Amino acid sequence: MSDTSRFDGPSSADPELEGIYPPTAEMIAEPMDPELSRAQAERLSRAWATPTGWRYWSSVNNTEVGVWYTLTAFCFMLLAGLMALLIRLQLAVPQNDLVSADLFNQLFTMHGSAMMFLFAVPIFESVSILILPSLVGARDMPFPRLSAFGYWCFLIGGIFVIGSIFFNVAPKAGWFMYPPLATEDPGPGSDIWLLGLSFIEVASIAAAVELIVGALKCRPPGMRVNIMPLYAWYVLVVGGMILFAFPPLIAGDLLFELERSFDWPFFDPTRGGDPLLWQHLFWIFGHPEVYIIFLPSIAIAAMIVPTVAQRPIVGYSWIVLSAVGTGFISFGLWVHHMFTTGLPNISLGFFSAASEAVVIPTGIQLFAFVATLMVGRVKLNLPMLWIAGGLAIFTAGGLTGVMLAIAPFDFQAHDTYFVVAHLHYTLFGGMVFPIIAGVYYYMPLISKKLMSKRLGRWSFWLIFSGFNITFLPMHLSGLLGMPRRVFTYPGGLGWDIWNLVSTCGAFVIAAGFAIFMFDLLTHGRRSALTPRNPWGGGTLEWTHDVPEANWGVRSIPYITSRYPLWDDPNLVERMDAGRYYLGDSAEETRETIVTSVIDARPLYIQPITGPTWITLVAAAFTGGAFIFPTFHMYWPAGICGVLAICTIITWLWRDTARPPKTHMADVGLGLRLPTYASGSRSAGWWAMWITMLADSTAFASLIFSVFYYWTAHPDFPPAGSAHPELMLVALAGICVALAWGATFGAREVNTHGRPGLARALLGGGALLSLAAASFMTLSVTDLSPKTHAYPAILSAITIWMGVHSALGALMQLYCLAGSTFGKLTPRYDADLRNVTLYWHFHALAALIAAATLGLVPLMLT
Amino acid sequence: MTDGKDAEKHEFREESESLWRIAFAPAIWAIHFVVCYAWVSLVCVKFGGDPAVMRVSLLAISAVALAAIAWLGWRAFRQWNVRDTGDFTNPEGEAEDRHEFLGHAAFLLAIISAIGVIYVSMPLIIIEGCR
Repeated sequence: MSDTSRFDGPSSADPELEGIYPPTAEMIAEPMDPELSRAQAERLSRAWATPTGWRYWSSVNNTEVGVWYTLTAFCFMLLAGLMALLIRLQLAVPQNDLVSADLFNQLFTMHGSAMMFLFAVPIFESVSILILPSLVGARDMPFPRLSAFGYWCFLIGGIFVIGSIFFNVAPKAGWFMYPPLATEDPGPGSDIWLLGLSFIEVASIAAAVELIVGALKCRPPGMRVNIMPLYAWYVLVVGGMILFAFPPLIAGDLLFELERSFDWPFFDPTRGGDPLLWQHLFWIFGHPEVYIIFLPSIAIAAMIVPTVAQRPIVGYSWIVLSAVGTGFISFGLWVHHMFTTGLPNISLGFFSAASEAVVIPTGIQLFAFVATLMVGRVKLNLPMLWIAGGLAIFTAGGLTGVMLAIAPFDFQAHDTYFVVAHLHYTLFGGMVFPIIAGVYYYMPLISKKLMSKRLGRWSFWLIFSGFNITFLPMHLSGLLGMPRRVFTYPGGLGWDIWNLVSTCGAFVIAAGFAIFMFDLLTHGRRSALTPRNPWGGGTLEWTHDVPEANWGVRSIPYITSRYPLWDDPNLVERMDAGRYYLGDSAEETRETIVTSVIDARPLYIQPITGPTWITLVAAAFTGGAFIFPTFHMYWPAGICGVLAICTIITWLWRDTARPPKTHMADVGLGLRLPTYASGSRSAGWWAMWITMLADSTAFASLIFSVFYYWTAHPDFPPAGSAHPELMLVALAGICVALAWGATFGAREVNTHGRPGLARALLGGGALLSLAAASFMTLSVTDLSPKTHAYPAILSAITIWMGVHSALGALMQLYCLAGSTFGKLTPRYDADLRNVTLYWHFHALAALIAAATLGLVPLMLT
Repeated sequence: MTDGKDAEKHEFREESESLWRIAFAPAIWAIHFVVCYAWVSLVCVKFGGDPAVMRVSLLAISAVALAAIAWLGWRAFRQWNVRDTGDFTNPEGEAEDRHEFLGHAAFLLAIISAIGVIYVSMPLIIIEGCR
């Protein structure tokens, strides 16, 4: 008990943990009674049983949701790949008229958007949901229903977006939707892109929250940060990146949709807007996104390479450096997509320099892999073949990246096929190949069967050679001046032969994918069950059960090394016997252990929610709220929004943070743990914290927009424009501050055993938050947002604050109801602590918003 | 002897808060980057002004950032404590190895952040004006 983690907050010096921790070697070595073990296994098995028949679709377990998620992402990838084939056919010969210019625009826009938003990012989430729990010996993700909700959102949003191409109304302004082309584009295409993908982005953030909490709080006892699997480090870094990268795009989407729907001129230069603002917001998302895609894929390599070398990874700390360093520096690169927009040269220099610097941490992990292979006893296998091919291709893409990061070279190559070649080399090498390697490597974990070695080799060599045949010539056609996104081109410019070669190569890639998909879908019928650890891996996922058992792990082990399977030959047998923690479920309910962040000390037993339809219903209503506005149907959208909120409240009320029956429970090995936690010990508190970090980033992007306009335009705010009513802004600020005080006070008096007073404070707080929302709205009623970007951006900030105040009031009322009906008590107060945390963030944001609305007009004019 | 042990125990416990700490040096890089970008925008786009003054003051800020990173790096190197223990990789599941591992990671991140700050400062030396 020497290493209480202060990172966990003050409450973690744990007076409540009873019994012995850490366990002694004798305790772990003591054999289990076989009878008892069998009875426990039966109870666990019933608790974790997957529903059968049509109820199968109400599952929320990570093994089911992860598989659906991954397969759906692969389907979208195949569709986007078919679009690429059409694009290549059209470009095979000059002056081709296979598809029209308009359809061609839809095809390349949808190819890019679908590959990025419906495949690359979701595949990280889906694979992580699928394998992270087994990598860290957890039974499931901390919030399985949230994963299910995220999946259904992804499915609905994805079908909506990609389906639009079959109705000839797909977005067609390119995957980065530059205004004014995209804002002026007639038809619903741009709206489908904006609303459909915003919906999916929200699901991505939900997945990021869950994955971060999973990596930080659901590790097995004893798995300190210096011995956790490298994959978990990457998940942590990538989750953190999503929190800072996606929100600027969501803020941008909000502004963009306000312009499309209500003609608020954020990006219209004739009314004080600025198209470059969109480019900034998009690429602040867009460049980190490249690394959000790359890092988790390379994380798979970090798991495969030690297994192939049959030794621990060389340079564990160096790989952590590499992941964290890349995560940071990747946020300083976005302007290299905007080198030709006329920014000051010295600014271009900063981004050029950072783009060169990011190569260093990116390269370090590749050298660590090579070093591991050099000192190990390599047993080459199929996944390693894919990793090796991927690294070769990625390195070539990285080298052209170094070229493009040099601004004068980019001036020449910008928007040519050279860029197309570069980005496909990085994405295929950095993402597609490692992901396929991961599919081959982890398939024994998922289907309990191995995929075919022979078909795998065929598929590899077809895709590898096809890839180079397709994309290597694009470097040349690009340097010869062929621009991206042209639907056809005149002959005789030296481009003809290279385009024809590229088209042939594309079909070779397609053949390779066909073989891969055939094997993926049919290997279950062709092969026998695999041995448990077919590759000889050393990490916890290879303790999985063959055939499948739904409990994740039979018992949650006590871990003391990076490769426990190699270091402790008895581990699997003892896990199977139920020797370790939580080997039983007396009540036949789903549970897992939540541990501390740094040293993974056991903190409490977290109940895990089981199968339900409510996530599907909530996702359907949420989908309605996003999809109806595409067709300007605002009433149905509003109704769906309200129903979505009601559904989510029902879901939370019925199944989360209920007071437990007993305060402590036995988890085995002489340890008793609390069955409830609130505040910074609990997983829910961390989820709120992380969500609000993302929310604050989106808000910061709106505030950034105000100052961006001010910097870039001499007349911002324009002379003679109306300003927000200072008095009302001040009142709104005061009300928010008081509402925050009421919430904070309610938490304190509730803890000290005065729930009555807490209820009064919560009720008052809710009224104050609604008053704040009203005052802030009233303060901008004189502004006419259609006339200029200045009133428009201030009104957008008001909308943002109004929605957040209303949400804050809803949360206060939720706690009030909880306290009234006995869900929330002085001892079991997780909801109130989470809501207080929300209010810390909201109060700070509201004060900044009030300052922006009230003081900026005075200071900037 | 027991005193020494207790002191060590205390030390390994103290730093448990440091998952944030490994991100301090990269955060300094990020702040430095944003300050450079914002200042150049204000001088070159909004207000005008003497680019030479801007460059010298930003280079001074770079020097401060580098000094701060160097200090963090030195502390992290001490925490890694490789000269006393001879342990470069810290693979054991115990408090001491976790402590030293976090020192090692922070030390490496300080190096990469310093390289980042130097790279980003180079345009200030090479490019003379706004255009």
